[in-house]
Amino acid sequence: MIAVVGAGLGGLLAANLLAKEGYKVEVYERLPFPGGRFTSLNYKGFEISTGALHMIPHGSRGPLAKLLKKIGVRVEIIDSKPEGEFLWNGERIEVRRRVFPLKAILKFYKELAISKFKDRTLDIFANSLDDFTKAFLNSFLGWSLSIYSEDITFRKFYEIFKQTVKYRGPGIPIGGCKAVIDELVENLESMGGKIYLRKEVRGIKKSNEEVKLLIEEWKCFDGVISNIGHKLTAELMGEKVNLPEESRGIKYTLKLEEPFLEHTGVLFIANKNIAGMNEVTNADPNLGKGVMLQVHQPFKGDARRAIEDGLREIREVVGKNFELLAVQSFSRDWPVNRIKAGSDLGVVFKERIVVVGDGAKGGDIEVEGIALGVEKALEELRRWI
Amino acid sequence: MRVEDHCVGCAYCMLVCKFEAIEVFGKAKINEEKCVKCLKCVIYCPVKAVKG
Ligand SMILES: Cc1cc2nc3c(=O)[nH]c(=O)nc-3n(C[C@H](O)[C@H](O)[C@H](O)COP(=O)(O)OP(=O)(O)OC[C@H]3O[C@@H](n4cnc5c(N)ncnc54)[C@H](O)[C@@H]3O)c2cc1C
Ligand code: SF4
Ligand code: SF4
Repeated sequence: MIAVVGAGLGGLLAANLLAKEGYKVEVYERLPFPGGRFTSLNYKGFEISTGALHMIPHGSRGPLAKLLKKIGVRVEIIDSKPEGEFLWNGERIEVRRRVFPLKAILKFYKELAISKFKDRTLDIFANSLDDFTKAFLNSFLGWSLSIYSEDITFRKFYEIFKQTVKYRGPGIPIGGCKAVIDELVENLESMGGKIYLRKEVRGIKKSNEEVKLLIEEWKCFDGVISNIGHKLTAELMGEKVNLPEESRGIKYTLKLEEPFLEHTGVLFIANKNIAGMNEVTNADPNLGKGVMLQVHQPFKGDARRAIEDGLREIREVVGKNFELLAVQSFSRDWPVNRIKAGSDLGVVFKERIVVVGDGAKGGDIEVEGIALGVEKALEELRRWI
Repeated sequence: MRVEDHCVGCAYCMLVCKFEAIEVFGKAKINEEKCVKCLKCVIYCPVKAVKG
């Protein structure tokens, strides 16, 4: 019997894969709903996401879409079109390779060569660029990863860049993040897997042959998949680990009378605290009774000051004609990313205990990285179960 | 109802409160006059910041 701690996306993907192989799986979730930061709660007729911007970074072609197919879960993903626009001096420019100066591209390859013996942080490269390319790079990092250019090294960024070139831009699942979660739950249960909601795991103990979890009482398992990150996993074992910082973000959900973006892609915003926005109701009108615009802003430090800046900028860009449905901030133990992109830790926590989800990603971003990390973690876990 | 300092401001409590008793801007604030103490916000908080 295998236990999964947490019914987030990573935990549910792992549980499905194991159940498909014939293992007995039990998922324990503290909250009254599955999905963690990748689902939605209906509020005033809108599917307000619990985290993710209802976007899968590489759409129907990426690692998550592939893994869902392998599991046998059917979710329709609408690939964004255009993939992205960039708001630059009041003008919307479609993001394509040819809008960037040749000089910037040459500098990119120069830095790539340098990085082979000296891997510098990305701000050094960013500062060498023209204003347009630099501003785009910063907005891209803010929207996709909630980080700043000094937070990541060039080589780590290059891995992400390669994945984006390979699989291209984002897509929106019909039904939003919640549709992905609902399908995973249904599929798992149809294979005999169990999900227990409102059941918190309060402790983990390990011996040579098994792992014990404190749920209501101690229960034995052959292996444990932790979906709660390295820090909380360590705490449940009575240990402490030193970790890289998390990334923080603020998400604004707006109700509009008329579509503002009028497409299914991302509008990246130049030189502001807010990094970008999307309008997912253009892909799936059932995500809200009206137009739903989501704006994302990375931040450091205090959320309230950041929100004041963000709201002012939203009025500058979108105008005043909107209803603010929700302002949500994410940090510390409920962040955008438990560990900043590019610094993810390994999947093996201890013998018989692996970590999946954000913080234990494979070589890609956000939920795509989670999909890759899950496959890696299960490969390791099979050694013991 | 009391919101502790480690509230991250994710607004799940506001989204599930049927009595429009919660406002969230960076942190949650509960309006005691509207709150009926149904405890839904306590159950939905991912970081256990609401205390009944
Ligand atoms: C504002 C924001 C925007 C984002 N935008 C995007 C996006 O557009 N695209 C994208 O790909 N990604 C995006 N992300 C990131 C993405 O949402 C997360 O990476 C992903 O949802 C994390 O999944 P996870 O598997 O790590 O689990 P989590 O969602 O963190 O789930 C972990 C689960 O474990 C449960 N749990 C915790 N402790 C216990 C315990 N002791 N016992 C039992 N259960 C427990 C929690 O309640 C939770 O349900 C965004 C995140 C945020 C916050
Ligand atoms: S659910 Fe908890 S963390 Fe989120 S805003 Fe409410 S009190 Fe704060
Ligand atoms: S206890 Fe119930 S009514 Fe009061 S704030 Fe929480 S959810 Fe709203």
